[in-house]
Amino acid sequence: MLVKKLMRQNETYIFFVIVLLAFVIQARSGQFFTPNNIVDLASALVVPGLMAIGAFMVIISGGIDVSFPALASLSIYITTSTLLDMNYQGGMLLPIVMVCVLGALFGAVNGFLIAQFNLPPLIVTLGMSSVFRGFMQGALNSRQLATIPEGMSSFGTSALFVAQNRTSGLSSRMPVSFLILIVVLIIIFFVLKYTMFGRGLYAIGGNETSARRAGFNVWKIKFLLYVIVGVIASLAGLIRVCMMTQCHPTNMLGMEMMIIAGVVLGGTAITGGTGSLTGCMFGTILIVMVQNSLILMGIPTFWQGVFLGMLIIIGTGISAYQVVRANDPARKNLGRARL
Amino acid sequence: MKKILALMMAMVLVFGVAACGGGSAPAPAAPAAPAEQPAESAPAEPAAPVASDKDESDWEIVVVPKDASNPWFVRMDVGVKEYAQKTGLNIYQRGTADIDATLQAQLIQDLIASGVDAICVVPVDPGSLEPVLKQARDAGIIVIAHEGASLVNVDYNIEAFSNDQYGAFIMDNLAEAMGEEGVYTTMVAHVTNASHNEWADGGVAHQKVAYPNMTLLEAEPRVESEDNGDIAYNTALELFKKYPDLKGIMGTSSFDAPGVARAIEELGLTGKAFTSGTGLPADNAALLRSGAVQSLTLWDPALAGQAMAALAVHMLRGLPVTDHLDLGVEGYTDLVFKPGSTTVLEGQGWIVINAENVDSFGF
Amino acid sequence: MDQEAFPGGIHFAQKGSDTVMAQSLLKAVDVKKSFAGVNALKGINLEIYPGEIHCLAGENGCGKSTLIKVISGVYTPTSGHIEMGGKSYNKITPIEAIMNGVQVIYQDFSIFPNLSVMENLAFNSELADKRKLVNKKRMRQIAQDAIAKINFDVDLDEKVGALSVANKQLVAICRALMFNAKLIIMDEPTTALTRKEVNALFQIILDLKAQGIAILFVSHKLDEVFEISERFTIMRSGELVATGNTAELDDKKFTYYMTGREIEDLTFTPENVSEEPVLEVQNLKLDGYFDNINFSLKRGEILSITGLLGSGRTELALTLFGMRKADGGTIRIDGKDVILNAPDKAIENGIGYVPEDRLTEGLFLPRSIGDNAVIAEIDKLAGKLGLLADKTRRDEGERLIRRLSVATPDANNACNTLSGGNQQRVVLAKWLAIDLKVLILNGPTVGVDIGSKRDIHEILHNLAKEGLGIIIISDDLPEILANSSDILIMRGGEITASLKPSETNVAELSGYMM
Repeated sequence: MLVKKLMRQNETYIFFVIVLLAFVIQARSGQFFTPNNIVDLASALVVPGLMAIGAFMVIISGGIDVSFPALASLSIYITTSTLLDMNYQGGMLLPIVMVCVLGALFGAVNGFLIAQFNLPPLIVTLGMSSVFRGFMQGALNSRQLATIPEGMSSFGTSALFVAQNRTSGLSSRMPVSFLILIVVLIIIFFVLKYTMFGRGLYAIGGNETSARRAGFNVWKIKFLLYVIVGVIASLAGLIRVCMMTQCHPTNMLGMEMMIIAGVVLGGTAITGGTGSLTGCMFGTILIVMVQNSLILMGIPTFWQGVFLGMLIIIGTGISAYQVVRANDPARKNLGRARL
Repeated sequence: MKKILALMMAMVLVFGVAACGGGSAPAPAAPAAPAEQPAESAPAEPAAPVASDKDESDWEIVVVPKDASNPWFVRMDVGVKEYAQKTGLNIYQRGTADIDATLQAQLIQDLIASGVDAICVVPVDPGSLEPVLKQARDAGIIVIAHEGASLVNVDYNIEAFSNDQYGAFIMDNLAEAMGEEGVYTTMVAHVTNASHNEWADGGVAHQKVAYPNMTLLEAEPRVESEDNGDIAYNTALELFKKYPDLKGIMGTSSFDAPGVARAIEELGLTGKAFTSGTGLPADNAALLRSGAVQSLTLWDPALAGQAMAALAVHMLRGLPVTDHLDLGVEGYTDLVFKPGSTTVLEGQGWIVINAENVDSFGF
Repeated sequence: MDQEAFPGGIHFAQKGSDTVMAQSLLKAVDVKKSFAGVNALKGINLEIYPGEIHCLAGENGCGKSTLIKVISGVYTPTSGHIEMGGKSYNKITPIEAIMNGVQVIYQDFSIFPNLSVMENLAFNSELADKRKLVNKKRMRQIAQDAIAKINFDVDLDEKVGALSVANKQLVAICRALMFNAKLIIMDEPTTALTRKEVNALFQIILDLKAQGIAILFVSHKLDEVFEISERFTIMRSGELVATGNTAELDDKKFTYYMTGREIEDLTFTPENVSEEPVLEVQNLKLDGYFDNINFSLKRGEILSITGLLGSGRTELALTLFGMRKADGGTIRIDGKDVILNAPDKAIENGIGYVPEDRLTEGLFLPRSIGDNAVIAEIDKLAGKLGLLADKTRRDEGERLIRRLSVATPDANNACNTLSGGNQQRVVLAKWLAIDLKVLILNGPTVGVDIGSKRDIHEILHNLAKEGLGIIIISDDLPEILANSSDILIMRGGEITASLKPSETNVAELSGYMM
């Protein structure tokens, strides 16, 4: 029974693909199942993982957000440059509070435009993405900040533990920020499953009119959603800056495509309403694994883009095919014939 | 009705803000690669040397950078000021508030109207500047460009160096760090980026001649960083894992060497693996001091500004411009025409940045 | 859209109920509603009594939906008032309507296809209680209680999207019942149901009546009105044209009230039938759908094919039009074997097809009516270089539209500005443009109101007389009986009977179908 249930779930298939890919990488490089490689992947997962959680929530609600990298860039740029100007010497608490407040603020702009005027989220976030970027580059005259406050860089480089590969002698740090990913995952998992807000996201994604008729406060849910996404994305941005020990205002831009691809790869319906956080994480892990293992697999630089593109098309194609099959008249008829 | 109104409002908002923000193109984290395109379109015939009939003290030579506030051009201003002081001539730099091709064109038009004698320009967008530069030349103004090798309506364009020579220079730095032996590979922003790949090619060619004990990693001779420090870092992690023999990575984009250095540090390879490449002093001071990177390479905008001004003076004096021209500016003492071009002059204006001199640049 | 009900089914209604209708449950008094100057409701007076089954009928656009929305508090009336629960409201909010026991089951059921039955049922009350957290146990209890009210047997963990249309409707009904409903408004509830499902729905409606719940049943189907309702109200162009006991209503009056004109019944009598069949089908087979299909069609005949959904009738039509490739058997046009493996092959051989759902399959809705009309003959209109002269295209479009008397001021208007019946005519126009031998129509009058329905039948009769062979796929049995020369009944992918309309009746036909 359990096996049967698992076999029907998208997550199972992605999990198999991940395992398969791991063995392929292992076979081709002998480097996959080494402690330091696993830690490297976990470390590379933190930022995309957090962003994927936000993107996932938006997609579940039937919306789409393409502005989160720009939003995160802006809030993290303001935070870092302000702290530098203050000659801030303290720990992580203030930076975290600052990015969260800024992220919430910018997310609220998205949320307000989408909830209040019922504008298509793609248009709003596409526009706001330009606004965030333009504001950062124009009004703030952003440039690369080569140094960041001591507290931030030491957080970024501090390790939960260091994994050592005995044969090669290479070592890798498991960043403390991995814990943040875990904590956010647990919180959002709970929110989606056990709060009316979370169920409301699914309800709106399933049928917005029905959600309104059922008594969901659609305005509030949408607004809050984009605020939360702004906070999560900004937190991801902060972690990224801490880990790189420098703040580059533009290098997160463009990440949205891979993040959204990962979410969809994980079985989330781009039309909204369907998908699980587990699947979303699996999809993101798969993308991160591929992105960070192309050299290990020995795929030439020239072919890396092709490989990644193929993976996305095949991955999303499979889920699209499943939808088509589910709607196949022959199968439907079988269902009806029993009546 | 409400919907349409709201939509329009949002559009105005978006466009309004995007327009005032978008006016300024992204500030270059790294200087644009010099001589991106060879001057294939037939360049205007350089004017025969004619001395200005004005008194030298009446000359007005203006340097127009991409903008006034970018540290790169602030540094250029330092050089220009220094040169003006040295020569006692009326030479100054004037830039727009933002990096904006239109604003730059307007500024140059104003300069033409005010009757300056020479304009030295670092174009934001070479193509769109052509008509204005033509006006300037038609008005008898000498036009010198820097980082604008594709320009036609100029007297001369000065590049700090030729691409393969700069690549060889990076290789020298990397080889020194590696002890002139071991396996290395090259990193570029994108394999389609012309100048990065010319640098990398120049570096590899130089290694084959000068450092026989070094070998290029055959399986991955060129990797991409996509102009992103994080990707440079992750790519380096993978490379060092997959190829335990790898000892050096030659970077080109200004994100490459710093990203690779981060990987070297984290993997515990400091002192065992090395990198070198283009980098801005201010961004990399910490890395250089910590020893994760021994040296980075660059060209100095102060000297480039001086070279442009010096060439303008040279021409106003009616002196001929020939191969092996000496402008009396460090790195620009042996300017030669880029092969096949009659307007693009190339110097040897590269500099090395290391732990000792990193704080002396101010950018 | 597949199953239209037919008279002769089980009559549940106790017509002319003798209950004393003392106190009305809901009373709308002189309700007017206008949108931007257009009067959608022109002073409606409507009374609904506890426990009655009241049918609200009217053609599309008559103001039925607006009235429902006013009663349920979605719209505020421009003038007039509503009396409910002993109070008079000039303006009623959705919450007040719910408090007074008014529940609406919309045509789309307002369900969440992606969520479980349990959540679909429990959300409303959880939200009404202003709960912030999910308590699965409590929600399950709520849902359990809700389905118990009508003895609905369903897996609470199943996703609603996976349920049949009828079960989705039951979920919506269960949900409506949770709020102490006194009046349940059902907006065209039988639209997507099979006959069997309609019967089950009517049984539930009667059970609800027995519990004292009034039902306002919105429909434009005559037979349903007679079958289930005790009282009726008919609206036309925003006005209430008739209200009374259903017992006093007959077919003629109903049609007259609905359309505002006398419509006499049309019966098809074949004329000019050719000697040789224009279309012959032998042993036709499509794996998994139908097998061993044999029939022939002469010019001037109308052949009706009927059967339940899943009987293979639609697939047969699609196969004849080349949309699906047959796995065996032969198709002969004018005595010649043809292979129809693509629609353009079928068109080449003079076969046209009007799809089941004209709204999504047959028309390019945003394009102009004229463009839609000429699309099938687009190759013919094109000049030597394959380019299409704008004027040629427009002239031809105008011609076709006049021929079928499509009601539009301008052929350049977009197709989606037309009413359902007129859209159907444009689809027909498309096919008349080419030199046709056989025209296949799948559910030609589904969703079309009575007036247009008759017009379409007339067009079909005329086309047959002009020498076209026509095949109608339909489960509207009265329609089939009145409009065909032969009837084929399919069940489980096989033809179970071949009958003449004069020799059979609705009951016999449905017997062969089940």
